[in-house]
Amino acid sequence: MNKSGLIPSYRLDMTGEPCPYPAVATLEAMPHLSHGEILEVVTDCPQSINSIPLDARNHGYEVLDIQQDGPTIRYLIRR
Amino acid sequence: MTWQDFKTHYLVRFWAPLPAVLAAGVLSAYYFGITGTFWAVTGEFTRWGGHLLQLAGYHPETWGYFQLIHLEGTPLTRIDGVMIIGMFAGCLSAALWANNVKLRLPRHRIRIVQALAGGIIAGFGARLAMGCNLAAFFTGIPQFSLHAWFFALATAAGSYFGARFTLLPIFRLPVKLQKIDQALPLQQDADQARRRFRLGMLVFLTFMAWAVSQSFSAPKLGLAALFGLAFGLLIERAQICFTSAFRDLWITGRSQMAKAIILGMAVSAIGIYSYIQLGAAPKIMWAGPNAVLGGLMFGFGIVLAGGCETGWMYRAVEGQVHFWWVGIGNIIGATLLAVCWDDIAPVVATNFDKVNLLAVFGPQGGLLLTYLMLAMSFGAILWWERRFFASQASAQTASTEKPA
Repeated sequence: MNKSGLIPSYRLDMTGEPCPYPAVATLEAMPHLSHGEILEVVTDCPQSINSIPLDARNHGYEVLDIQQDGPTIRYLIRR
Repeated sequence: MTWQDFKTHYLVRFWAPLPAVLAAGVLSAYYFGITGTFWAVTGEFTRWGGHLLQLAGYHPETWGYFQLIHLEGTPLTRIDGVMIIGMFAGCLSAALWANNVKLRLPRHRIRIVQALAGGIIAGFGARLAMGCNLAAFFTGIPQFSLHAWFFALATAAGSYFGARFTLLPIFRLPVKLQKIDQALPLQQDADQARRRFRLGMLVFLTFMAWAVSQSFSAPKLGLAALFGLAFGLLIERAQICFTSAFRDLWITGRSQMAKAIILGMAVSAIGIYSYIQLGAAPKIMWAGPNAVLGGLMFGFGIVLAGGCETGWMYRAVEGQVHFWWVGIGNIIGATLLAVCWDDIAPVVATNFDKVNLLAVFGPQGGLLLTYLMLAMSFGAILWWERRFFASQASAQTASTEKPA
């Protein structure tokens, strides 16, 4: 699961926040990155598994990795 | 395939939503055929409110609404009751298997306010319309009741306003984009995961054994409990969320869940149709203003709350405290509706016709019309999705063309 060599430049910690806020905040954060930079989104909202990856792709970003540690899910998304 | 592989692929990982919703559609048709009733939860939540009122010394069993939905027995002797207990057991087992139970506390007071207020509005609206999304989508529409279409369209509209409202600055907590130079280390606590998995298996197998033993003395109750268990597994593992199906069309343009639910209704409708042709009685409700008003309130409320009557169930057992408040709100809202039902029912509901599409257009005509309307809904979603991303793309070009 662990993809070495992917170093995120920014982290968005959405722990504790319910839907739709993690997905909305992710989409709002992405334009602040430079092209090629990676955002790490950390959330414990299980529903985000159906929202963040799809939303990121739909809005033109690349989902590099999804990792899960029990309740915590981490997404790596490249602008 | 080793047991470890099986566990990882089928019990721990999230399930894809589309097959899970299709499975729920098929199961809900069988559920109707076997138990003679439908997959629905809010009616039973209202009865819980009724029981609480009885404990407080009131006599809700004499109120019109409780005579309508019946307040006899206890959750353990009612089909809806054991089905819901099964759903909770299924949700809890699924969440424990994946080590996905964690006490998640709201970050701010405003979340509790919106959870409770949204829950009350949604609970009231759902019962005003005689049932929430489950009753409307997995029973109403596939059961050919016109009221469910009124409810569905109104819910879509209500969710639009709910989405606008929920993104107002007052509900937005400040989020900080932290500059970092390495990823957050994630370490699975293997021992905890193993313990939780075993606990999940214990809940699952115990409930299953109880339900199977029930099915010999009371077949319908036992089977309803087993169906509940399956529904619970499906909604938690695939994170099936009716709220997001509507809301995210408006907020992020995502349509996956909405499309899945329409397809789920499509597989359910033909199954229900076959049972009705064999003589089972469909549940047809008043196609009155109550379905429209209820749908508007329900759509608004579920988005404000962040989850509907089904959504809060699995989120609550996952330890999301926010959704405990939604659940409490739902029961309060449903009970409030029962309190004022006798005053408003003639105006908004009981004086209107119960329209059965199969009776109005004939069995084949009604079936055809239902599928036609489902296809049109699917088409409308495709159209909206295209439009959403087209306007987004043009907004983006406009902003990049501006001089920095």
